[in-house]
Amino acid sequence: MLTFNNLVKHRGTQEILSGISFKARPGRVTGFLGPNGAGKSSTLRILLGLDRATSGNALIDGKPFAELHNPLTTVGAALDGSGAHRMRTGRAHLLWMAHAAGLSRSRVEEVLDIVGLTNAAGKRVGKYSLGMGRRLGMAAALLGDPKILVLDEPVNGLDPEGIRWIRTFLRERAASGNTVLLSSHLMGELAETVDDVVIIHHGKIVADGTLEEVIGNHSTLEEAFFALTSGLAGDVV
Amino acid sequence: MRAFNAELSKLFSLPGIWLAFLIGAFAPAVIAALDSMAQKEEIIAGVSTRLSEVGYIGLALGVQGVIILGVLAVSSEYLTESSESGGGQQITTSLTVVSSRLHFLLAKAGAVTVISILLSVVAIMTTVSATHLVLGEYTPAFEWPKLLGAVCFWAFTALLAFGITVLTKHGMIPLAVLIINTSFVSFSFLLSKVTKLALYLPDRAGFEMFMFLSNRFLTPFTGGLVMFAWVVVLFIAAAIVFHRRDVAS
Amino acid sequence: MSFPSSKKITRILGAELDKLVTLPSIWLTLTGTFILNLLLAAAFTSVGLQGAAGTQSILNIGLASMRYLQAGFIILGILATCSEYTGGQIRSTLTTIPWRGVQLSTKHFALAIITIPAAFIMAASGVLYTFTMMRDTAVVIEIDTMIKTLLGTTGYLTCTTLLSAAIGALFRRTTPALVVLLGYYFVVSPLTRDFPPRIRKFFPDTAGYYMYLPPSSVKLNFLTPMQGAGISMLWTLIFITVAIVLFRKRDA
Repeated sequence: MLTFNNLVKHRGTQEILSGISFKARPGRVTGFLGPNGAGKSSTLRILLGLDRATSGNALIDGKPFAELHNPLTTVGAALDGSGAHRMRTGRAHLLWMAHAAGLSRSRVEEVLDIVGLTNAAGKRVGKYSLGMGRRLGMAAALLGDPKILVLDEPVNGLDPEGIRWIRTFLRERAASGNTVLLSSHLMGELAETVDDVVIIHHGKIVADGTLEEVIGNHSTLEEAFFALTSGLAGDVV
Repeated sequence: MRAFNAELSKLFSLPGIWLAFLIGAFAPAVIAALDSMAQKEEIIAGVSTRLSEVGYIGLALGVQGVIILGVLAVSSEYLTESSESGGGQQITTSLTVVSSRLHFLLAKAGAVTVISILLSVVAIMTTVSATHLVLGEYTPAFEWPKLLGAVCFWAFTALLAFGITVLTKHGMIPLAVLIINTSFVSFSFLLSKVTKLALYLPDRAGFEMFMFLSNRFLTPFTGGLVMFAWVVVLFIAAAIVFHRRDVAS
Repeated sequence: MSFPSSKKITRILGAELDKLVTLPSIWLTLTGTFILNLLLAAAFTSVGLQGAAGTQSILNIGLASMRYLQAGFIILGILATCSEYTGGQIRSTLTTIPWRGVQLSTKHFALAIITIPAAFIMAASGVLYTFTMMRDTAVVIEIDTMIKTLLGTTGYLTCTTLLSAAIGALFRRTTPALVVLLGYYFVVSPLTRDFPPRIRKFFPDTAGYYMYLPPSSVKLNFLTPMQGAGISMLWTLIFITVAIVLFRKRDA
């Protein structure tokens, strides 16, 4: 269970987040939706303890990220890019992470196999394509076999096969009782994957509910999204 | 010309460039002031052996500003050290905008030259005033040919830094080597004790343009010529390598 | 913040060591510095051989390359901390090890583990080269003086590396960190050599210098090697502390 309580974030004089509150529940895939620069990544970065909230908090099973006993086996996170140094090999990147969390070497080979990077594991990350970098990011997120997955734009840069793989994979994770939170701006893709939808716009939550609730009277999620974010209105929720 | 303007605006939008400006404009003045303070008594007593170097020493040792400029101009194209972008290399964009690699390199070198000349003029002004401030009436006169030599030295140094960085693609090594070489423990100085050939190294030869070295070896004009030859050779090497190399590698 | 157990700290140390040894630029820097050091030792030795026989100190000549050698270690330190900010690796680090204070101090510790043997080998190889080349012309030195000096050198280089790592963590970018450190060690510090020694001896590099200063130049000794080591370590600790405090406060 992920809980966001009234998150506010200022950067300089700008208010990036103004009171973000929502939950991502176990057994469900929650889609976090919003245009570019709406505050999706900032929210996720605060959840993962990378950025500090000006006020409010984000909790993982009731605890802030830094108080987790073993973060890697509790929350798996894949943010933008690979999150690896360009000059390191993909395998070396996963190995140091595994080492830090007390996981075995064989687990590294397992996740490399899951994301289909076994053949490229000995190459420098700098030589990876965009999609391969994303796969490495996914491998890092899955390394600790965590109950909670937090993914920022997971399908960005993936080929059609990869997108389909992500979709079925996330559905399976949720079906076995795990929590999945993913951000995206690709409506069509999201509509086929998620159970719950949270829409953020200019640092504020404009819709929060199940997929059906958020779509409401609109024909598609995309229609609902534009109706909500263009300011023309709609009291969904 | 358009490529040149583009290179200028690229340079000015680099955050590191302000560090280069700051150091370029003030480091020589500070060095000159410190050196003048140390020598003040000897100069007043009229026994200083280094009277002719007063002030110029700042311009000789304070070239870090243009070194940073030359290195950053190239290394910024290759490396992004940002937590957000997953290693975007600006060079790909640059080369799709200006398709001829030689034009690109020339435009960039031109921008670096112009900025370093301007910077050296600023540095000369701050250095001369700093020296006057410390030494007052005892300040030796600054002669135009020597100041011109200093301007050339700065521009050539910037271009050397530029050329070396094109070859290495990474800013760290040229930056370290060149900054150390401007210091009191320069490699060239050490080598010149081992072999006379080291006096033809670019920085030593360049010094001859405006530093009145006690063991003068070349005339100011030949000194400048030797340094310029280094710049040309390096630039040709850089152009050939840059032309042949795959961008992504 | 819950403080991680000792088992966890061992794991984090292992991970930080992994990170350092799998980074090719660390190895490039170390090999490059090693080769350069030998070349410089050769240059200084050949200058020294021109001097009068029987007056040369092997230690003085063998360690003359120290001034340059420290540049390699400055780069090593900067690379260790700034490499976190390439390709967004810092996010992976902090989602794996969210205890920032522990993470950064462990990184410095891991760096020290690599630096100490490297520094010792480099300093020793320089002196050894000079020794073999100048056996006949140089003043004989005692073995314990040699070992003391080499230990001092190792300590000095390790302190410099850790200090550079802290500065790198403060700036998070290689270029400004490199410019500031090289500017201080190679330009500012030599320029202030006319300052009275009672002030200068407290500068990080000058204090460190007394750690390996050959005892022959007694009249110049304003600090004992131990005092020098103390001041130098104090500087390093201050900068590491500032880096950690800032690292804990700011957004990654």
